[in-house]
Amino acid sequence: MSALLALIGKSTRAVLVGLVFVVVVFSFARVITRDLLGENERAETQLVVMHWSGEGGQEEDVIVEDALAIFEAGHPGIAVRRINPGDARSFYTKLQTMMAAGETPDVFYVGSERLPAFASAGLLMSIEGLLADDGEALAQGADLPDPVVLEEFYSATIDAFRFDGERAGFGALYGIPKDFTTIGFYCNLDLFEAAGLEPPREDWTWDDFIAAARGIGALPGRTGAEFVTWPEMLRLYLRTEGVDIVGDDFDDIRLRDPRVVEMLERLYAWRHAEPDTLTSGKSKVAEGASVFLTGEVGMAGPFGRWVVPSYRKIDDFRWDFVPMPRGSEHVNAVATVAWAISSRTEHPRESWDLVRALSSAETQARLARLGLAVPTLRSVAESSAFIDPALAPASDRAYLAAAEVARVIDWPTDPKFASLFGTRLDQAVKTGNLSVEEAIASFEHAWAVEGTSPLAREEFEEMPWGRLTTAGSAFLMAMVALLWLVVHSTRPGRLESAEERAGWWMASPLLIGLTVFAAFPIGLSFLLSFARWNGVSPIGQSDFVGLANYEQLLRADDRFRTSLGVTAYYALLAVPLGQLFALLAALLMNAKVRGIAVFRGMWYLPSVLAGVGVAVLWRWVFDGDNGLLNGILGPLLAPFGLEPPEWFGADAKTFGAPAFALMNLWMVGGSMMIYVAGLKGIPRELYEAAELDGAGPLARFRTVTLPMLSPVIFFNGIMAIIASFQVFTQALVMTGGEPGDTTRFYVLYLYNQAFEFYEMGYASAMAWMLLVIVLLLTVVVMIGSRRHVFYEAFDG
Amino acid sequence: MASITLSGVSKVFEDGFCAVDALDLEIEDRELVVLVGPSGCGKSTTLRMIAGLEPVTSGTIAIDERVVNEVPAKDRDVAMVFQNYALYPHLSVRKNLSFGLERRREYTSFLQRVVSSAYRREARAESSSIKSRVEHAAAMLGITPLFDRRPAELSGGQRQRVAVGRALVRDPSAFLFDEPLSNLDAKLRLEMRTELKALHKKTRATMVYVTHDQEEAMTLGDRIVVMNEGLVQQCATPADVYGRPANRFVAEFVGTPTMNFLETSVHFTEGRLFIMVAGDKVPLPGAVGGTLSPFLGRGVVMGLRPETLHPGAHGVAARVELIEDLGDRQDVVYRLDSGARIVGRIPSDTRLREDLRVHLPLDLERAHFFEDTDEGMRIG
Repeated sequence: MSALLALIGKSTRAVLVGLVFVVVVFSFARVITRDLLGENERAETQLVVMHWSGEGGQEEDVIVEDALAIFEAGHPGIAVRRINPGDARSFYTKLQTMMAAGETPDVFYVGSERLPAFASAGLLMSIEGLLADDGEALAQGADLPDPVVLEEFYSATIDAFRFDGERAGFGALYGIPKDFTTIGFYCNLDLFEAAGLEPPREDWTWDDFIAAARGIGALPGRTGAEFVTWPEMLRLYLRTEGVDIVGDDFDDIRLRDPRVVEMLERLYAWRHAEPDTLTSGKSKVAEGASVFLTGEVGMAGPFGRWVVPSYRKIDDFRWDFVPMPRGSEHVNAVATVAWAISSRTEHPRESWDLVRALSSAETQARLARLGLAVPTLRSVAESSAFIDPALAPASDRAYLAAAEVARVIDWPTDPKFASLFGTRLDQAVKTGNLSVEEAIASFEHAWAVEGTSPLAREEFEEMPWGRLTTAGSAFLMAMVALLWLVVHSTRPGRLESAEERAGWWMASPLLIGLTVFAAFPIGLSFLLSFARWNGVSPIGQSDFVGLANYEQLLRADDRFRTSLGVTAYYALLAVPLGQLFALLAALLMNAKVRGIAVFRGMWYLPSVLAGVGVAVLWRWVFDGDNGLLNGILGPLLAPFGLEPPEWFGADAKTFGAPAFALMNLWMVGGSMMIYVAGLKGIPRELYEAAELDGAGPLARFRTVTLPMLSPVIFFNGIMAIIASFQVFTQALVMTGGEPGDTTRFYVLYLYNQAFEFYEMGYASAMAWMLLVIVLLLTVVVMIGSRRHVFYEAFDG
Repeated sequence: MASITLSGVSKVFEDGFCAVDALDLEIEDRELVVLVGPSGCGKSTTLRMIAGLEPVTSGTIAIDERVVNEVPAKDRDVAMVFQNYALYPHLSVRKNLSFGLERRREYTSFLQRVVSSAYRREARAESSSIKSRVEHAAAMLGITPLFDRRPAELSGGQRQRVAVGRALVRDPSAFLFDEPLSNLDAKLRLEMRTELKALHKKTRATMVYVTHDQEEAMTLGDRIVVMNEGLVQQCATPADVYGRPANRFVAEFVGTPTMNFLETSVHFTEGRLFIMVAGDKVPLPGAVGGTLSPFLGRGVVMGLRPETLHPGAHGVAARVELIEDLGDRQDVVYRLDSGARIVGRIPSDTRLREDLRVHLPLDLERAHFFEDTDEGMRIG
C-alpha cells in the first residue's frame, strides 16, 4: 500500500484529494439544489409513487415509468416521482422507514398479506369514498379516464383488499389490485410420461396428486413432488378438505380439529414416511420454485404464477400448470398486490386518479406480458395479453378458472400469528423434527404466551413525547453548559485558548456527525424501549408501556430465549474456532516467502466481499441434499455408517449454528491481519533467547508467541464476541431463522420484531438488552483475562 | 569454560551485503573480549554467528576446538544477553531464570518419572539442583528479592540483571553479550558495567561482549577488537588500542574527545627533520624523526590526543574559541591560524578565557603519525 502511495507520488495525491473534494462539494450542491428546486415545484402537485420489481426486473420499471409518463401528459400540473427500492423486502423496509419519518409515498404497492397490519395501523386510505364520488360523477355524465368498475375485476382479488377492522375479505376497500395469481402445482410432463402417467387434469384430486407423486418417485433418481409448506399454502391445503386452522374469528383456533390433524398427518407421512414421494424438506437450496428447474422433480407447488418467467427458460422438458388438487371441496386462493393510497397523502384525489391510471387495462396488459402474474381485470386476463398459446404454460386459463373459486386467506393483524404458525408447523410437515402433535402444541403454547404477554394489555397511555422532548432538550443544554463550565474552569492563556478553539473546529465535523447520526438515534431507541410503536405510524402515536417490553423479554418471550441460546451456541463455537483459525493463518502469512503479500491479500479478500452474495454462496455449500460440503462429507463418513448432517434441515438444532460458525472461518481475514501485525511486533531476540534456552518450535510458540500476542488475542477475542452477537445478514439470507427458530439469531429476531411484527419498541428493548449482555460478557472476559494478558510485551 | 576460534569467517546476507569479511579471531579461555565499532560494522553479526543464530557463509567457528558451524544454537553451550533483555513477559523472575534449565531436562519425560522410581529420584535431584543454581545466580546478582515479580514490574537495571542471571544459571562455556547496557540510562550503565566486570572476575568465564561504546569497551575488555565495515581494524589490549592505534579509524574511534588530526608534511633543512604544522616548522625529536624519515617530502597525518595539548610559552599559535567546563577538567577548542580546529583537555584550575591568544607546544613524543592514505595506517 505504502509502496503504491509512494508510486502515486505527491502531486497525484494532491489531484486525488482535489477530486474527492470536488465530488463532495458537488454532492452537497446537488442535494441542496434539488431541495431548492423542489420548493419551486410546489406550485404544482407532486406525487410520490413507490413500487418494487422483484421478478419483473427492469421491465416492470419501464412499464410503470411509461404509465406515469402517460399520466403526467394527461394531467398537467401533477408531477410524479417514482421510487423503486428493488425487491419486495427492501420495498417494505423502505416503506416502513418512510412512514415512520412521516414521508409516506402517496401511492404504493401493498401485498394482500400485509393488508390487515397496514390497514389496522391506519396507514391506508379507504377508497370507498373516492369510488362513490366517481360513481356520482359518472352518473352525471362526466368523462372520467380509466374508471374503476369493481365488477370487471376478479372478485377474489377485490375481496383481498377489504378489511373491516378485524378480518380481511370484508369491509372497506383499501386498494385496487393490479395483478394476482391463483395457486397450484407445476408439473414436469416428461416425467409424467416416463412414469406412465396421464398429464394431470384441471379437476384432479389429492388422490391423483399422490398417485402421480408416488409414480414419479419410483423412477430412479427422481422425486415425486416439492410441496412447500408456507403458512398460506398450508391453509389452502387444509381448505381443500373443508377445514381451516381458525373458525370465524382468530380466537377460535381449530388446529386440534381431528380433520385438521389428519390432513397434517397425511402430509407428514407423505413427506417423511415414504421415500422420494415428496422432497426431503431438508434442502434449503433445492426447495421452492428452483428445485423444479433441475428436471428431477415431478411436481412443484403450491405456487402462484410468479415462477413462470423463470420456468419459461426451461428447454429440456415440457411442463404445465394445474390448479390446487381438490379434496372434499373445490377451492383456491389468491395472492395479489394492489396500488394503495396513503392515509396521509395531501392529494387524495390526484392519487386516486393515478391509481386508476396505474390499474388501467392498458397498463395491466403490458404487465401481463411479463408473464409473472394474472391481470385483475377479467377483460385483460382473457385477452391475448395474458393468454399466449405460443408460450408455456399451455393452461393459462387454469389460473382464471381457479380464480372463480378463490377465497381470501386472511391473517390476524398481529403478524406474529402467521410467523409462529409457519415456523412451528414447518418443524413437523417440513423438516420432521417434531411430530404434528408436538408442532401444534408448540404453536399453541407460543400463541397463548403472546396473548398473555404484558404487552397484550391495551390500556397503555400515550408516550409523553412533549415532556420527553423538553426533558431531553433540558438535559442536552445542561450537558453543553457543564461542558462549557469544565472547559472554562481553568483560565487558559491566549495561545492555549487559540489552540483549543482550533481543536474544537477540527473535531466539530465528527462531533456534529456523532450527535446527529449516532447519539440521537441511540437516545431515541432508549426511549422507544419503554414504548410500544409499530414503526410505521408517526412516532407520536406510540404508547408508554413502562418496563413491559423488558418484562416480556425476560419473562414471557420464548423466542427471545431461543434466539439468545442460538446466538450463544454460535458464539461459543465461532469465537474460539475463528480466533484459532485466524491465528494459524496469521502464522502462515507471517512466513518470509516471496509473494506473501499476494497470499495475505487472498486470505483477506473474503472479509471484504459483500454479505448477501457470500451468504447465497454458502447456502449452496451447506445444502442438505445437493450441498458441496455434504458431497465431500458423505463418502468420507459412509465407511463408518454415518451420514453428513442436514445442516439447515432436520439437524439444524445441533448443526445450524455450527454451520454458521464454519462459514465464519471464511471471513477471519480481518482478525488474521491484526494477528500478522502483532506477530511482526514480537522482537526477534525473544525467539532467539528461547532458542538458546533450548526451546523447540512448539515451546517457542507457547512461551514467546502466545504471551507476546496476548493483548492482540484479547482484543480480537473481544471484537469477535461482539461480532458473534451481531450475526444477521448470513442468517437472514441463508435460513431466515428457520427451520423453526433453530437458526434465529438474536439480531435476526430483533429485525423480525421491528420490521415484520411492527414492534419497534420491543426491538429497541432487545437492542438495549443486547448491549447489556455484550457489555457484561466483555467485562467478564476482561476480568478473567487480566492474569493472562501481558501488555508489557509492547513496551519494548 | 572454553576458547573460541574464528577462522576466515564471512557473512554475506541474501541481499549481497557483506557484514563480516574473512574474520580471524582467537578468544582465549576465561578472556573477556569486546567487539566494538560503529553500527553496521559487523560486530553483532559476528556475535550472532558464534551463538548460532546466524549461519556462517564461509570460514569456521570452533568452540573449544570443536567446529560448531552446523551445531544448532541450543547445543553450542553458549548463553546470550540481549540489548532489550528478551525476558519472557509471562514468567516470574524465578521462572525466567530456570527456564533454560527446565527446557534442558525435558528428556526425562513425565511418563518416565511416573514409571521409574530411579527417574523420579533423578528428577527430584535435578529439581533441587536447578533451584540451588537459580538461587546462587540470583544471590550473586542481588535479585533474590525480585523472585516473584514479572519483568513488567522491574526497572531497566533489574531486568538486565535478570537477563544476565538467566545466562549465568546455565553455566555455559561462553557468555555472549549483545550491547547489554545500551537501553540503560548513563548512571545505571556505569553501575552495571562495574558489576559485569566484577562478575567476570568472579566467574572467570569466557565472555564476548559487543558494544558501540568505546568507553565501555576500554573499561571492560581484556582485549578489544575494533571493527569497521566487516573488517577487524585492530585487536589488542585497551592500552594498546588507545596508545598505539593501528590506523586512523581506530585512533579516531577510541577516546573522547576524539583525537585531533593535522595534515603535515615531513621536511629536512639545516640538517634537521621537521614537520610543517599550521605554517610553523616544528623540529622532530630524534626517535620520531627516525620513524618519519621514510616519509621525507611527503604528507603525513599527525594525531594528537587532547590531553597532550596544554597552552605554553611557545608552540603553534592559536586562539581560544570555546571552553567547555566539565567541572573536573576543561575541554578547550583552539583555532589555529591555519584555520584548523583542535581540541585540548586541561585541568580545571588552568585559567583561560575565550578569544585569548595562546601558544600550544606540540608534544611530538606522544603524537601519532598515520599515512596520508585511505587506510591511514600507523607509522611507527
